[in-house]
Amino acid sequence: MKNPFVRYLFQKLLWYILAFFIAVSLNFFLPRLIPGNPVAVIVNQMATGGTPSEALEKLYATYMREFGLDKPLYVQYFNYLRNILRWDLGTSFMLYPGKVNGLIGRALPWTIALQIPAILSGWIIGNLLGAYSAYKGGRFDSVAFTLSLVFSNIPYYCLAIVFLYLLAVKFAIFPVGGGYSFGTVPTLSWRFIVDAIHHYILPYCSMVLVAIGGQAIGMREMSIYELTSDYVNYARNLGIRDEKIIRYVFRNAMLPQITGLAISFGTMMGGALVTESVFSYPGVGSLLFTAIRQTDYPLIQGCTLIITIAVLVANFLVEIAYGFIDPRIRAVQLGEK
Amino acid sequence: MGNLLTATGLKSYYRTVQGEEIKAVDDVSLEVREGEVLGIAGESGCGKSTLASVLSFTVLPPLYILGGEVRADGNNILVMDRETLRREIKGKYISIVPQGAMNSLNPTMRIKNFVIDVLEEHFSEISKEEALQRARERFEALSLPSRVLDAYPHQLSGGMKQRTVTVISTLLNPNVLIADEPTSALDVSSQKIVIKLLVELLRRKIIKSVVFITHELPLLRHFADRIAIMYAGKIVEIGPMEDIIFNPFHPYSRLLTSSVLVPEPGMKQKKIEAIPGVPPNLKNPPSGCRFHPRCPSYMEGLCNIEIPPLIEVKEDHRVSCFLYGGKNG
Repeated sequence: MKNPFVRYLFQKLLWYILAFFIAVSLNFFLPRLIPGNPVAVIVNQMATGGTPSEALEKLYATYMREFGLDKPLYVQYFNYLRNILRWDLGTSFMLYPGKVNGLIGRALPWTIALQIPAILSGWIIGNLLGAYSAYKGGRFDSVAFTLSLVFSNIPYYCLAIVFLYLLAVKFAIFPVGGGYSFGTVPTLSWRFIVDAIHHYILPYCSMVLVAIGGQAIGMREMSIYELTSDYVNYARNLGIRDEKIIRYVFRNAMLPQITGLAISFGTMMGGALVTESVFSYPGVGSLLFTAIRQTDYPLIQGCTLIITIAVLVANFLVEIAYGFIDPRIRAVQLGEK
Repeated sequence: MGNLLTATGLKSYYRTVQGEEIKAVDDVSLEVREGEVLGIAGESGCGKSTLASVLSFTVLPPLYILGGEVRADGNNILVMDRETLRREIKGKYISIVPQGAMNSLNPTMRIKNFVIDVLEEHFSEISKEEALQRARERFEALSLPSRVLDAYPHQLSGGMKQRTVTVISTLLNPNVLIADEPTSALDVSSQKIVIKLLVELLRRKIIKSVVFITHELPLLRHFADRIAIMYAGKIVEIGPMEDIIFNPFHPYSRLLTSSVLVPEPGMKQKKIEAIPGVPPNLKNPPSGCRFHPRCPSYMEGLCNIEIPPLIEVKEDHRVSCFLYGGKNG
């Protein structure tokens, strides 16, 4: 471990593993705190009219055994941990005998394809807008700032529903929901891609607008702060042109924004929950939403595990990226004075 | 020798949100001569730094210039447009070593990249290598290690940062260098190094004059040619350094010089005097002479009514006080 950067990475990694372990444990215990016995629900659904009660009990016991819920909680917990290490997320209760791995595997591409472009483009446009409006000031700034405030502070589900109502119901420009038209089968044909894009625009735009607003406000504040800093005045005093000064300011104001990007990526799946519910999008968010409603422990755990991994990986990457961008942070990472 | 900079009747006020005016620089006239070090001294809040920003055209709201002119090369620079000012004057004719040089360098940029930006801005055909070479030579000529250029600001000590900023400010060989309390945040030995650097810059004719703004009067003794004493936004006395320090005329200058501690023999016996009262609020400065409420030689019916003009009492030594004439009739 001679290389200080490798040592730094190693130490960080240990912390992240600890955080992962704690989060994974919470993922196990929290769903089990939801009142109600999921197996009883399933059995009740099966009980149609005159099913004899012994049969129901047998059914109940079979399911309990099948899902491993008959064992004590700590045994379940260790089984759960062992299965995570084998990347086996178990069997869904509500979509029995569907495997959680498969369910999430089918939903994840939809969520990623919707969220990552939306977050990235919202982040880039928002930062440019924020920096420009801080530099420009005056009327442009007031209009941009007000709009940003409005879009970032309307509860997202309201905005999404307004969008849906106006653009899909009132003026049927876009479909009301789903990832693709009802009755089509996902294939790599042109027709399907065009159809998917048509379904994509509305959720995408609603998310981008909110992201732009939030990022622009943060970036504007940071840029105003940087624009009045001593180094900007000094550069001006030496006759450096504004275009160059803006580049200095942009870079320095970006630093906290990068953390913002990491947080966006981390909370991406959580955000997907609302977006996908409103637009009935076939992603992890919709899956998690139904899973919670049905107290489907393995499926909830699977979805939250994905969220946990997303948050941790995003944070880890940003922490490393920060060192490359800010020499002061790099100095700390490398243990310099 | 000619004047490099002549300021006449400068007025510069801060405007508060409530619409009040703070008269930080009020009717100030002075000239900066070729080859000299002009010290400007006064208490905190007397308008020294405001004067520095007016002289270096770095006035930013809420500070506004309300009157007067600053002539350089025969042009009134206060009416020049931003772009000409940026291209022709800033850094080239007049440069500034800012107050708080500690934060004057971009924290995420290597010094050399900033230096290259400065040089490229004023010499359009210079290449990066040439610019860097020129900077390296200048740093070494002024006995600063050229490895500073490869460093980030946070890797430099306070004194080194101050010297670096001073060298960067003079890269374009400005005629006038305005140093706004460049040594206030430094320990005594770093102070000395910075002052030596300024003297060296003058000796090598890299710069032609220095306006040194400070609240430490004794510091000026070592290298100033002339000193201007400011009080409440006005210059109350301006003259040769020896005169101002050892034989000041204005009651304020006298009190100011006797309130400083100079580690010299016989100092222990000397009584240290403090100036009674507090500096006035510049929102509503006292009428007449602004020093009259604190002045030991206050003359009722005159000092509180009329503003004393700056009149010559000795060769090259002007004072604004009725004790030395200036009364009407």
